[in-house]
Formats: sequence, structure tokens, C-alpha cells
Amino acid sequence: MEWVIGDSNERYSAKFSNSEESLILSSLSIDGVEQSHSKMSFRRDSQPGRILVEINGQAKFALVAKVADSWWIHLDGRIHVVHGHEPGSADNSLGESGMTAPMPGVILDVMVKEGQRVREGQTLLVMEAMKMEHRILASKPGEIISVNFNKGERVDMGVTLVEIGE
Amino acid sequence: MTPDWIESAPKAFDSVLVANRGEIAVRVLKAAKETGIRGVAVFSDPDVGSLHVETADEAVHLPGDSLSETYLNSEAIINAAISTGAKAIHPGFGFLSERSEFAKAVIDAGLIWIGPPVEAIETMGDKISARRRMIESGVPVIPGEEIAMSDEMDHLGVLAASAARVGYPLLLKASAGGGGKGMRSVHEPKMLRTEYEAAAREATAAFGDGTVYVERLLTGARHIEIQVLADSFGNCIHLNERDCSLQRRHQKIIEEAPSPAVTPSIRSAMGKAAVQAAKAVDYEGAGTVEFLLSDNGQFFFLEMNTRIQVEHPVTEMITGIDIVQKQFEVAAGIPIGISQSDVGITGHSMEARIYAEDPSKGFLPAIGPLVMWRAPEGPGIRVDTGVREGDDVTVNFDPMLAKLIVHAPNRTAAARRLDNALANLRALGVVTNIGFLRQMTQHPDFISGNITTDYLDSKDISEFSEPDADPATLIAIAAAASRFGIDRMSGNIRSEKIVDEHTGHTGDPFRTLSRSFP
Repeated sequence: MEWVIGDSNERYSAKFSNSEESLILSSLSIDGVEQSHSKMSFRRDSQPGRILVEINGQAKFALVAKVADSWWIHLDGRIHVVHGHEPGSADNSLGESGMTAPMPGVILDVMVKEGQRVREGQTLLVMEAMKMEHRILASKPGEIISVNFNKGERVDMGVTLVEIGE
Repeated sequence: MTPDWIESAPKAFDSVLVANRGEIAVRVLKAAKETGIRGVAVFSDPDVGSLHVETADEAVHLPGDSLSETYLNSEAIINAAISTGAKAIHPGFGFLSERSEFAKAVIDAGLIWIGPPVEAIETMGDKISARRRMIESGVPVIPGEEIAMSDEMDHLGVLAASAARVGYPLLLKASAGGGGKGMRSVHEPKMLRTEYEAAAREATAAFGDGTVYVERLLTGARHIEIQVLADSFGNCIHLNERDCSLQRRHQKIIEEAPSPAVTPSIRSAMGKAAVQAAKAVDYEGAGTVEFLLSDNGQFFFLEMNTRIQVEHPVTEMITGIDIVQKQFEVAAGIPIGISQSDVGITGHSMEARIYAEDPSKGFLPAIGPLVMWRAPEGPGIRVDTGVREGDDVTVNFDPMLAKLIVHAPNRTAAARRLDNALANLRALGVVTNIGFLRQMTQHPDFISGNITTDYLDSKDISEFSEPDADPATLIAIAAAASRFGIDRMSGNIRSEKIVDEHTGHTGDPFRTLSRSFP
């Protein structure tokens, strides 16, 4: 499994050696390049979702939960998300040209037409989700290739609303 | 069976239907249970397994997909009360809580309305009549005017003329709006059109009224509100102020009591004005009079919320008064039994609203499975929640998950306690604002107490980004968790508490080993 944090493109891999009850981090690499790392070991805890982490001899608890291919981690009072990828799989980042719906909701207004040129940050459409309005802004300057929904239409999360070309 | 405390009251009731959902429904249902009153919940399809349904003694399903068929359906809700034998209705906040027609329908159905008189809701719910009444009774108001928009009118023209009279910057409010919905600030004339259209759309979507109120926007002011309690015997007291200045687009983020900006003399003047406002509409029950407090100590009436408020717990913490219990008592015709001089302030309280939203993406509401939800515990920590581990956060409702409330001897200690409690709120599976709230509570501006209502809107939100963690540690934890095969937990593992085998209690703080201390 390869791992990615947030929107980063760096892919990490980790290898462990087993001792009696714990895993000891033996190797950590970014995009295949070996990295130096602190001495870390991990032990399963009796409490569900809890791992005892030892970093350079300091022990602390991490709480973890898995949703789809992502691990949610609570460590030192902060919450983080690490995404897992099968080695060699394509990046699941959103297409460069498509503006996607960040939430399921209803299109309230469409402010652009096909063929129109837009500048970066220009409002393309307005949608309503969870009773609040959200403006979908152009991620880059360019020409509108397609507007895929009309005012009043319901959209699912992640669908491409508008495509912007060069 | 009617509990003792209410048995001889003029309008005694033994059961209450809560016409709401989420944390406030849970709060009211728990208060009912505690005091011996049977609690009835209502729920729509997405709420079939929700915490408020589980908390109630009985629950009635409201069929339908839209809010108007369910939580905004007066008829179905009143029928639910009648069919379950509930004698009273508590509206919570939002939904039908400030609809006078609903209050009237409840009373006409022979049920007890746990709220103020219909006329008080009407007068205060309509911003122009509220204003007029406040001016008559000597409560200071902000310059502004209301426009009733009709279809044939040139909306923008009428609005522009009014805006010119009131003066920029100004605030557009949908008359029937609330909770920041249908409310927009306009800093210059050219933005009027865009903001008006947005406000009108939000208001019709959520509340079904296109009326707009134009008001001068006071910059650099604080939002200070006074909790009032009044009974049917003409007694009316205030429970001091709450400072709700920390807002983002008029949505409150952290509320506290007392306010760091309110001196005893301002408190007494604002308290008097709030009581005056409540008396001007013959108020009964719990209500909140909202003011803007400018830096020179002048204050102006904003509006009165004729219902319980989201941030009521901070007042409960510093005064020791259970506001929901008082609502029950007043509705039953029992006098409030507290005089103004009995109301004190003990320590300092803060409340952070926990939202499923992503501060790094413009506070976009987030959804997902709440795979882990472990709330902090300890002295001075209270969590009012509408969710529990295993719940799904969906698009159906407001993204507020819970309120984290702390109480400490002073403001500095309260801010630290809040930060620590936030650090120990382990919510995994859904993006929340917890990290943002922590940055906020640690921020020098927050610690200094120097916050006005426009503070966050003038800030670059990236200033409140969380510090980066060591990526190697996080990767290694994820990889280890994966190796251990710790998978998505099923909803049946809800409690990490150990039940004491002798007492059957969980987590008794006065108990160590087999010895108990009183």
C-alpha cells in the first residue's frame, strides 16, 4: 500500500519488522526514495481503534479509524487523514479541467455559458447544500467547454458541473 | 404520572413533545426525563436512528421528504402530540419555534405551548413591529428600515433607495430569516444586487418569506445578548449577558459568558433594557434580547429571539440556573421564584460549536460516517450533542454536530480548558472545525478578549490553519493500523467506559477501587 497525506502528490511506503507484539518501522520511502526516520514502534491496544505509538522512546496513544481507503488519525490532540493507494494506481485527484460539485445539492444559478471566457476565481454557478449557498469558482482562466447542469437541477457530490478548456 | 413539583401547578403537564431534532431535542428530552416528564420525539426518515429518537420515551414518525412535510409541518406535529397523549409542546430553536401561527395552533388544540405568548412572538418576529415597540418603550435601536417585497415591485430600485437613506455599509436581512441565513452585508452600492439576490434566495429556501430589512452595519461592535426569564405573574429577570462576537458570516462560532467587554454598569444597563424589552411584549418564558455594543459602551437593540437559544448553556454554567427546566415551570404556571439579586456570576463559561465543515475549503459543510466520536470528559466540561459514534452525517440537516461547553474559575482558565477539551474530542470520519476552533482559542486576539463581530470576516482564514504534523509519523501509524487490520468499526462499539461491577455506574469520579467518597 502507498500512502498520501492530504492533497500532496508524494507517495509514501512503510515497511515494518515484527517483534513479539509490536511492529517496528524499518523503512520509510517517498516515491521509492528511502528516507531517514525516527525510531518508531506500534502496538495494538485492547481498546478498539487505539494504537500505542512509541517514537524515540516516548509512548503515546493514537486513535485510528478507517473510512474507505483513508485512515483517520487522532494524535496529540489533532486529527489527520492519510489516504491509501494501491501501488501504481492513478492519482485520484480531481480532473484539472472539471469543476466538480463539492457537496450534493441543488443548482441555484448558472452564471456562465458554453464558449464564454472566464477568469480565475470567477463565479460559475451557485449551488445550495445543507441550506447554505456555495459559489463554484473557476479554478483557472479559460473557455467554458461545457455546462453540464441547469438551474434547479439536483447534483451528486463529485460530479463535474462545468468544464474549462484553454 | 405527574411528578410532584408540577402536580399542583395551574397548568400541570406530565408529558412533552419536542418539535425538533438534533442536540436541542436531546437537551430538552433529557431535561424532561430528569424531571419526571414523559418525552415524545418526532422524526423524519433520515432521523429514524438518531439520538433524539433514542432519548425519547416515545417517538412519532413524520412521513415525507421535505422539511415542510416533516419538522415544519404544524398539523402533523400537533396530531403527533394528541395521538401520544403529550400535554405540552416544546419547539426548541429553529424550525417552528418562532412561528406564531404554530404557537397559536398548539394552544387552540388544547395543548400547553412551552414558549412566549403568541403576540410576543408576532411582535418580536416582525422586525419592523419589534423596532417600533422598542422605540416606544425606550430601548435604543439601530438606524434601518424594512421593505415588504411584492412581485410587481422593482425590487432593486426600492432597495437601492432605502439603502441610500440608511447608509452604507449595511446589512440585508430577510425578515423571517435567522441563524445567519438570508443575511448579507453590503459594503458598497455595486454589491447590492448580488447580495440581495442571495439573501432572498436563502430566505425563501429556508423560511418562505421574501421580505427584506435594511439596516446600518455597525462595524467594530460586539454582539452581546441578554438572557431573560419571565413568568405569567409579571416577574421578569435577566440572567446576565453572553458575548457572541466571534462570528463568521453571522454564524456564531464561540460564545462566552460573562463578556470580557461588559462592565458591571454596562451589564446593569443592558439587563434593564432587556427586561424592559421583554416587558414591552408581556413576555413569558425564556428569551434572548440581542444587542450590538459599540466600543464606547453604547448599545442598540438588534432583535429578540423568542425561544431557547443554541448558546444557552454558557448562561446555565455561570448562573447555575437550568433554563429548560425554567421553561417547563413557567409554561406550567409556576412563578420563576428567583429574584434579580439572586442571580450571580460564578466563573467563566465558553461554548464552541462543533460543525461538520471544512475550514480549509471555505467552511464547506462535510458529510460522512462518524466512525469515531469520543467526547472529552472532566471537571467543567459539558457536551450537548445530537450525534453519537456510528452515526452518518448527511446533507439533510444543519451541519452542527454538538456544542462543547466549559466552565472554569476565570476566562484564561476557561480558554485553556476549552482548547484541551477540543483536543480530546476525537471525531473521526467526518471533517470538522475542531482544529480551527483550537487555533482560535489559542490565538492572542481571542485570549485578549478583543473580538468584534467583523473580526473573522476581515481575517485571512489561513491564519488559523493547524500546524503541520510529522508526515512520517502519520504514514507509519496508518500503515501500522492497516497491518493490524483495524478496520472501520461497527456502530455497536459505542462506549469505552468501564462499568463498575459494584455500583453499575460508569466512570464515577468519586470512586477509586472499591472505596467510594461522598
